[in-house]
Amino acid sequence: MHKVIVINLNGNAYQVDEIGYDALRAYLDRAEAHLEANPDLAEIMADLEQAIGEKCQRFTGPHKTVVSAAEVEQILAEMGPVDAAPGEGAGDAGGRDVRTPPADDGSPRTKADAGAAKRLYQIRDGSMISGVCNGLAAYFGVDVAIVRIMFIILAIVTKGVWIGAYFIMMFVIPYATTSEEHAAAQGLPFNAREVVDQARKHVADFKNNTDEWKRHWRRQRRDWRRHFVRQQREWRRTWPVMFWWRHGAQNVPYATRVLAGVTVSILGLISGAWLLLFVYALFSLATRGRVFGWPLPPNIPLWAALLALFVIYHVLIAPLKAGRYAAYHAAGWYSPWVGALEAASATLFFWLAYVYVPEIRVFVHSVVMVLRDLLRSGASVG
Amino acid sequence: MDLTEKFSPIRKGLLEFLILKIVAANEVYVADILKRLSDTDFATQEGTLYPLLSRMRREGLVNYEWRESEAGPPRKYYTLTAKGNAQLADLDEYWKHINKTVSQLGR
Repeated sequence: MHKVIVINLNGNAYQVDEIGYDALRAYLDRAEAHLEANPDLAEIMADLEQAIGEKCQRFTGPHKTVVSAAEVEQILAEMGPVDAAPGEGAGDAGGRDVRTPPADDGSPRTKADAGAAKRLYQIRDGSMISGVCNGLAAYFGVDVAIVRIMFIILAIVTKGVWIGAYFIMMFVIPYATTSEEHAAAQGLPFNAREVVDQARKHVADFKNNTDEWKRHWRRQRRDWRRHFVRQQREWRRTWPVMFWWRHGAQNVPYATRVLAGVTVSILGLISGAWLLLFVYALFSLATRGRVFGWPLPPNIPLWAALLALFVIYHVLIAPLKAGRYAAYHAAGWYSPWVGALEAASATLFFWLAYVYVPEIRVFVHSVVMVLRDLLRSGASVG
Repeated sequence: MDLTEKFSPIRKGLLEFLILKIVAANEVYVADILKRLSDTDFATQEGTLYPLLSRMRREGLVNYEWRESEAGPPRKYYTLTAKGNAQLADLDEYWKHINKTVSQLGR
């Protein structure tokens, strides 16, 4: 089931589903970008909308009012990519004859798209988070791994500021939803202007139309959720070891189970230590503005640093967590024991910290004070 | 590279000539042109045709007028201008010349 969006194509209303709408929007945006320099831009766009509308009519009738995503794809395939008219402008007529022609065989879109300008998109297929790195890799024609490593290095070098940059890119760069856009993501050489245009357009959308933005955001979140589920499925496929309990495999040799049990406790202790370090780092960052002797750079706000710390902590403990879960299930004693052990180790660590680290003691005391004040004021109000 | 691809720049270049020919024969609108070309080697799509027609109109080769249609909104019917007619005659001449050259060269 998809949401239906009513669109206006050159003065007539049509109903298309959400995915079809995205594809259509992308097609028209792209057409407009291609024809930007054309003096008849408005007229051609109206003609194109008219033609799309007429094709939509073919798919609707008294008992079918909505044009589906597949039908939109078909319509756009029939429309074909919009390029500047053949022979348009002096530059086009002469040197750039390598461009492929308008559709003339079985696979018009892919062929014609090879000649289309390259655009930066987020590509979700096979992406880790949102597809930014994937899109950049396609754009520059390099391996995704290289881009990802560069991102991680940049994130470390800039002490997390780059993570913010990633979020901005996630918001600004459009998703490649149609096959046309996927082709465009790896098209011809660099055209920075289009990227800037795209960014400007998004910002304008954001400013003028919060509703639109909210919808975009909702869709984005849903996509993330869907992506997360798919990612999990993929991980399960690539590293079945980590997920074997999902298949209910409990016929593990006894020695392995013992080993796993030992691993659980060791990993538990290690993650306890990490947690403690994390709390300590948070605490020292919040109170003294430094982490393990590194002062906070003056141009980074505290909340950003805290957020970055949180992210780093989760990245660091992710493998530990994974290992622990795997071990739990290998050990075959998932529930009460593990909980008890974990609680015990955490308590032990906190107790040690409380006794031996004066800052922690001060911190705990201050928290207690704050809580007491809160309770007292609540009581007095009540 | 297959055969059709080798000739694709030629087909692309001939498109304008063929459109002039089609428009000269009949008063047509875009869907007619597409239909006439659809079964030929020159099959094309709206995405290509609209920009091309708009340029030809700007160059004064074709003109259009709005016509009511029985079903749906009014359509643009294209006609050839005097300049378009002259251009078509020239192109026709040149095309014959090229054909002759091709058939006379070599075997």
